[in-house]
Amino acid sequence: MSIDRRSFIAGTAAVAAQFGFASRVYAEDKIVRFTIAQDFTRIYTFVTSEYNQGQRDYFALVNERGGVGGYKIVADVTDHANDLPRAIEAYERGKREGAVLIDPLSTPVARALVPRALEDKINMITAYSGRSDAADGTAFPYVLPLSINYWTQAGLIIENFKKTEKGSLKGKKIVFVHIDTPFGKEPLSILQVLAQKEGFELLTFPYTPPGNDQSAIWPQVRRARPDFVIFWGAGVGQTVALTEAIRNGLPMDRVSSSVWLSESDMDVVGRDAAKGVMKVEPCVGGREPKVIKDILAEVVAKGKGAGPEAKVGTAYYNYGVQMGALMVEGVRLAAAKAPNGPVTGPWLNDGLRSITNFTAEGLLPPTTVTREDHQGGGMGRIARWDGAKFVPVTDWFAANQDVVWSEIKKNSETFKTTGK
Amino acid sequence: MFYRRAGLRHTRYQDERQLFPLAFDRGLVLTVLAFLIAAPLLLDRLWLTGYLLPWLIWTSAALGLNLLMGWAGQIHLGYGAVMGIGAYAGVHLVRFGVPLEIAMIAGGIMSAGIGTVFGAAALRMKGIYLAMATLAMQFIVDFVISHNAAISGGTLATLQVPAVRFLGVPLTSDWATYYFALFVCFVITLFMLNVKRTSFGRALAALREKDYAAQILGVSTFRYKLMAFWVSSFIGGVVGTVLAVAYLRAVSPDQFHLELSIQILAMIIVGGLGSVLGPFFGTALILFAPIVLNNLLGSVAATFGLDLPIDMRAHLPLLAYGLLVIGFLLYEPLGLAKLYANFRNYMLVWPFRHAQR
Repeated sequence: MSIDRRSFIAGTAAVAAQFGFASRVYAEDKIVRFTIAQDFTRIYTFVTSEYNQGQRDYFALVNERGGVGGYKIVADVTDHANDLPRAIEAYERGKREGAVLIDPLSTPVARALVPRALEDKINMITAYSGRSDAADGTAFPYVLPLSINYWTQAGLIIENFKKTEKGSLKGKKIVFVHIDTPFGKEPLSILQVLAQKEGFELLTFPYTPPGNDQSAIWPQVRRARPDFVIFWGAGVGQTVALTEAIRNGLPMDRVSSSVWLSESDMDVVGRDAAKGVMKVEPCVGGREPKVIKDILAEVVAKGKGAGPEAKVGTAYYNYGVQMGALMVEGVRLAAAKAPNGPVTGPWLNDGLRSITNFTAEGLLPPTTVTREDHQGGGMGRIARWDGAKFVPVTDWFAANQDVVWSEIKKNSETFKTTGK
Repeated sequence: MFYRRAGLRHTRYQDERQLFPLAFDRGLVLTVLAFLIAAPLLLDRLWLTGYLLPWLIWTSAALGLNLLMGWAGQIHLGYGAVMGIGAYAGVHLVRFGVPLEIAMIAGGIMSAGIGTVFGAAALRMKGIYLAMATLAMQFIVDFVISHNAAISGGTLATLQVPAVRFLGVPLTSDWATYYFALFVCFVITLFMLNVKRTSFGRALAALREKDYAAQILGVSTFRYKLMAFWVSSFIGGVVGTVLAVAYLRAVSPDQFHLELSIQILAMIIVGGLGSVLGPFFGTALILFAPIVLNNLLGSVAATFGLDLPIDMRAHLPLLAYGLLVIGFLLYEPLGLAKLYANFRNYMLVWPFRHAQR
C-alpha cells in the first residue's frame, strides 16, 4: 500500500488526539490516593471483579459519610492483566500522582514490586498474594499482607482436623492435592513440619496447571483412603478438584480448602453436591455484618454501587470490604496522629502499622498489625458449605503460629541477607 | 526535499556500503540516539522506567528472536524459556559474587548451549513441526526451573537480585539501569544492522528462502541453522539477565512462561519480520497499546462522567488493542517497519508524487 496525503493527515491527527486527553486534574485538596491496579482480564478475572467491587463500595461508603479523619479516599482503578510492564507502569503513574498505597492483588506483580515499594516507601497491600514472609514487618516495612498467609491457613485447617479427631491426629492420613506451581507448593513446608509434630501421615498429589483435568489424580486419592483431604489451587483448578472429589465419593465433611473457594465455585460444582466441604474464612461472609448492611443501605440503594447487587455479600466481595476497611482504618489512625499530613507513604504506614483490635464492626476477627507482625494476628475460622451458604463451624482462632513464624523468619532472614 | 539524494555520487565501495548512505537518515538516527541519551534529563521517572526501559529491553529480546525468525526463517515458540535460562544463570552467578559483565555473558552462553540443543530439531523439522519442538522446549524448561528448589529459590520460588555494578557503576538508580539497558540495546542493534552485510547474514537469508537450495550452493545448512540458534539464544540469554537485573529485580518462574514467548513473537510479526526497525515499533505497540488505551478510556470516562462497569472498562481496551493489531496486519502484512518504509518512500521525493526507480 502507499500513503497519500489524506491518510497521512488523518493518522497524525489520530495520534495527536491520544495525548490531548492524557491529563486529569482533581480539585479537592484533602485526599488520600490509592492505586488499585489489579488483574481483571487475564488470570484472576471474576475473583478480582468481586474483590474490587467490595473495596470500592466500602470506599464509597466512607466518602458518602464525609471521609475519614477529614480525608476522602480516591481509588484509581486500572487493569494490569497480571503483566509486569503494565503493573510497573501503573505503579509509577500512581506514584507520580501522589498515591501512597497500591493493591495489586497478584503474586507475580507483588514480587516484582517489593524492591520498588521498599525503596519508594509506598505501602503495598498483598492480601492473599505475594510473599508469605512479608508478614515479617522488620524485613518488609512497606509490604503489608494484612491478612492470613497460606502457611497460617494450612495451620488453621490442620488444627480444625485435629479438633474433629478430638485432639490427636496420630496415625491419621491426610492427603494434600495441589496445583503444581510455587503457589500450590507453598504450604508443603508447614504441612511437613506439622506432620512430624502431630504424627500424621502426609501424602501429596500435584496436578499440572491450570488443572482443568485432574481425573488421573483423584482415583489415587480415593485408593489412599485418607482421613482428610486438603485441596489447594485457584480459579478453575478449585472447581475441577471439588467435582472430582465428589465423583470419587470422598466424604465432603472431611475435605477442606484455603480461602479460595466461593459461592461462584459452588454454582459450577453444584450447590447440593458440594454440601459439607470446608474452607478457611478470613472474615464473615454473607450480608449479615453491619458494614455490608450499611453498604446496601447507603451505597447500593442509592444506585452508587460499583457492580451488580447480586454480588454484594459473596465471599470475595467481603474480602474486598475487609481489605478496604483495613486500609481506611490505617488512614484514620494516620490522620489521628498527624491530622495535617503531609500525606505520604510513611504517614500512612504509621497508621497501618498501629491498627489494634480492629473488627470493622464485626466483619473481621480482631486484627492487630504491629511493626513486627504484618499478618494481623493470624486469626481465621473454618466454614462449611451447607448447600446455600458457608456456615462457620469454629469461632475465630489462631493456630500453629509458632511453626508458621519460624518459617516466616527463615525466609525473611534470607531476604534480609541476600535481597538487598 | 528532505533527503536530498540528488548529486550523491559514491566513489568508494565503503561509501556505497555504509549503514545509512543518506545524510538525512544519519541525522535522524543520531537525533533519536541523542534523545535517548538525554532522556533522563528530559523525562520524568514515569516515562523513563515505565516506558523507555521496558521498551529497550523487550526490543533487544525481539531483535534476538528476529535474527532467528526473520533472517534464518526458523520458527521459535520458546524464546521466553531461552530468556529464562539466561536470567536464572545470570542471577545465580551474580548472587555467587560473579561480576555482572561475566554473569551476563555466562547467562548468554548457557542459553545458547541449551537453545542450540533444542534448535538441533530444526535440522530435521520445518515450519509447524519446528514450532512444536520449540514449544516443548518452553514447557520442559518451565518444568525444570519450577521443580528445582535449587534453581527457583526455595519455598517462595523468588530470587532477589542483589545490588550489582556494571563497569564500576552501581545499578541502583533509574539512570544507571536505563543507560545499562540502552547500552545493551545499542550493541545488539548495531550487531543486527551489520549482520545483513556479512557472509553469515547472507547465508541465513539463503537458508530462509530454501534450505536445500542453499546447501547446493555450498552454504552448510547444518552449520548455519545451529549458528542461527546459537546466536539468537545467546542474545536471548543476555537480555534475560538484563531483564532480571535492570527491570524485574526479582526472578520467579512465572515471568518466563509461554506468555512472554508469544508476546515477543507478536512484537516481531507486528513490527516486521527480518527488519531491524520493526522490533522497535512492534515492541512499542504490543507493550504500550494496552496501557495507553486503558488510560485513554479511563480519562475519557472520567472527563465525560461515564459510569462504565469495571469489567467493561477493563475489557474494552483489550478489544481495541486486538482490533488495532489485526487492523495493522490487514493494512500492511509486512509490519509496522514497512509502513515506515512506505512513509519514507513517499517523503523521499516529496513534494512530488512518484519516485523514479
